[in-house]
Amino acid sequence: MGLEIDVHGLKLSYDTQPVLDGTEFKVERGELVALLGANGAGKSTLLRCISRILQPTGGHILLNGRELQQFGSREAARLMAVVPQETAADFDFTVEDIIMMGRYPYLGRFQKEGQTDQEIVRRSMEMTGVSHLAERSIATLSGGEKQRVIIARAVCQQPEVLLLDEPTANLDIGYQSMLLELAARLNREHGVTVIAAIHDINLAVHHFNRFILLSGGRVLVAGRAEEVITAENIQKSYGVPASTYRHPLNGVLQVSVVRGRSPSDGLNEGPPVHVICGGEEALPVLEMLIQAGSRLSIGPVSAQDSGCRFAHFHSLPVIVVPPFTNMNGAHKREHMEMLQQAEYVIIPPIQFGEGNLPILETVEMILEEGKAVYIIGLAGIETRDYSGGKAAEALQRLVEHGAMVLESAEGLASLFCVRGEKENGA
Amino acid sequence: MKPLFIAGLALLLLFTMTIAMVLGAVSIGWKNVLTILYDALPFSQPIPGAVIAPVYQDILLQIRVPRVLLSAAVGSSLAVAGAVFQGLFRNPMADPYVIGISSGAALGAVIAMLGGFRLAVGGFGAIPLFAFLGGIVTIMLVYSMARVGRAVPVMTLLLAGIAISAFLSALVSLLTYFAGERLHQVIFWLMGGLGGATWRQVKIMIPYALVGYICVSLFSRELNALLLGEETAKHLGVDTEKVKKILMIGASLLVAAAVSTSGIIGFVGLVVPHFIRLVAGPDHRFLLPASALLGGSLLIATDTLARVIIAPSELPVGIITALIGAPMFIYLLKKRKKLRYFGGGG
Repeated sequence: MGLEIDVHGLKLSYDTQPVLDGTEFKVERGELVALLGANGAGKSTLLRCISRILQPTGGHILLNGRELQQFGSREAARLMAVVPQETAADFDFTVEDIIMMGRYPYLGRFQKEGQTDQEIVRRSMEMTGVSHLAERSIATLSGGEKQRVIIARAVCQQPEVLLLDEPTANLDIGYQSMLLELAARLNREHGVTVIAAIHDINLAVHHFNRFILLSGGRVLVAGRAEEVITAENIQKSYGVPASTYRHPLNGVLQVSVVRGRSPSDGLNEGPPVHVICGGEEALPVLEMLIQAGSRLSIGPVSAQDSGCRFAHFHSLPVIVVPPFTNMNGAHKREHMEMLQQAEYVIIPPIQFGEGNLPILETVEMILEEGKAVYIIGLAGIETRDYSGGKAAEALQRLVEHGAMVLESAEGLASLFCVRGEKENGA
Repeated sequence: MKPLFIAGLALLLLFTMTIAMVLGAVSIGWKNVLTILYDALPFSQPIPGAVIAPVYQDILLQIRVPRVLLSAAVGSSLAVAGAVFQGLFRNPMADPYVIGISSGAALGAVIAMLGGFRLAVGGFGAIPLFAFLGGIVTIMLVYSMARVGRAVPVMTLLLAGIAISAFLSALVSLLTYFAGERLHQVIFWLMGGLGGATWRQVKIMIPYALVGYICVSLFSRELNALLLGEETAKHLGVDTEKVKKILMIGASLLVAAAVSTSGIIGFVGLVVPHFIRLVAGPDHRFLLPASALLGGSLLIATDTLARVIIAPSELPVGIITALIGAPMFIYLLKKRKKLRYFGGGG
């Protein structure tokens, strides 16, 4: 089951603009492959070459070692089914009619659709969950339903290879997952080789196990998610700074575009600000401050902390404490120095426990030296105080010594918005 | 359901044929018509006691019967060709003349008329011969102009057809302007009509119609697939370039044969396929035979009206087809509200 596809030095140009420029890769039988790459990287063009819509000007596509162009139309359609991004369906065919068309490559010119064909249509509809739509007109279906019908037709073709060209582009998130899960099921249960061009990397990572990243009509890298989806590769192919992380629920690799900073952004012009970190709650504060152009430093966090990742991504000074250890004397001294260099110290609504109580003591010392300290969101401290009230007391002491309390992080924006002032002034 | 519908349409065709033979400037009487028809059948025994004036026999057998048969063949051909072009171009506005066959045929016919050619091939006069050739040459020209590499995209085909059609129409107008005393003949031909139908025309028309019809109906399933778009059809295993060519040839034969025998009769080819789709859906395996039957009936009925309405003179049948077809079509549209069977959206 499944077919092996060998793409060898494929070339194709639209006018003089090369779209495929020596594309080369191999898909083993029964693989579940996602084609990734920026708009214009050649994903669709590549798929349209494999599905015989476009004729490459150079190179070869081999199916099980045999040149693709040597297959007859019907023979190719018995091996390969295609699910396009969208199918025109503005006429009154019933869903069953549409799916039955998948039997076309199996029927002789004078042959009527028989019992077997009916049975295959029925099974395809069951598998894709469209049986209840059988008598409906395709024109009356929603985008998601229509796409499932097209998958059903592809199933009905009983292919060895299923090509999907951005099949989820117009679907809501529910249908997106369902559709890709269907493709994955065909791969698992019937050994069908699946190649899908997908825009949404994070969606693709959930459903596929092999990835081919295209860039400028060539394969930049191919392999497992960890090998392909790296910040560096994403930058190369899509031209945007990105950061990868694990999905909090299932640990699947995810990628996210990050707003990078450039020297012209007015950074390093704002006041030096130190933020006490530890936990996700600090992130919105950090993001807001960095957008506002503050010179940030980040205070003691463990290596796995989101604040630490933020600091590394933006190359900010940070004090890193090894996981599962308390701050030692050296850390404290280092922190003190950092605090002294800052003009403002911010305490976001993070969680407190015995581990990070000493930080508040250091802040208290610096407060007495006359440094401006802002505490964000003192209300509800009891829900994030795991030190039996000690943290609440410590924060209260800070307030008594002159720390200012802001209700939410939004208040900070007006305090530190250097760039905003510049823009308003201009 | 569908076989019943086809049977109903076949009955309708027989019924209109009979009515059309009974009606006319000379009243023959339906009993006499049936008797003459029965007598004309091979191996039939003469009915005792029935004496019918020979002039009635001549009017019926030499004038009305060939005219009815020719109407049926022309109407069917136009309706089937219309259905094929609408499906091929996925465009509800397409009709049998959309890619210029009519203009080509008209140019051929007008040249034959103005040139006063007298040649005849196999009993076929110069005008139908030139019209037929004009239509076929035009199609070949359009097809070769629309070629992009090895493929002929339907959109280019449509556009090339419209362009050539406009050009040829201008030539026809130009020639018409200089037609002089032949002006009436030219105008009359352009309006289309079935007057003067002969058995010879029937015998020439019917083989073309049959070949064309068989040609396109063998590819009904491919036409269905093409309705989903050319790429989808290819994905399903349709050899689209070959199929398009065959469908074009088949439909062009139908139209060229129809135009060369009866001029340009509008509306039948546009309206009939739509009518069938509205009632029974877009499946070409049903649409083509149903269009053939209904197209035949419609043209017989309108032609009959054209010759009895101001008898003993005749109106050009194209006027009647448009006068009856358009309101009928609009009524259907209104009644169904939505044209969702074909490009009308939700």
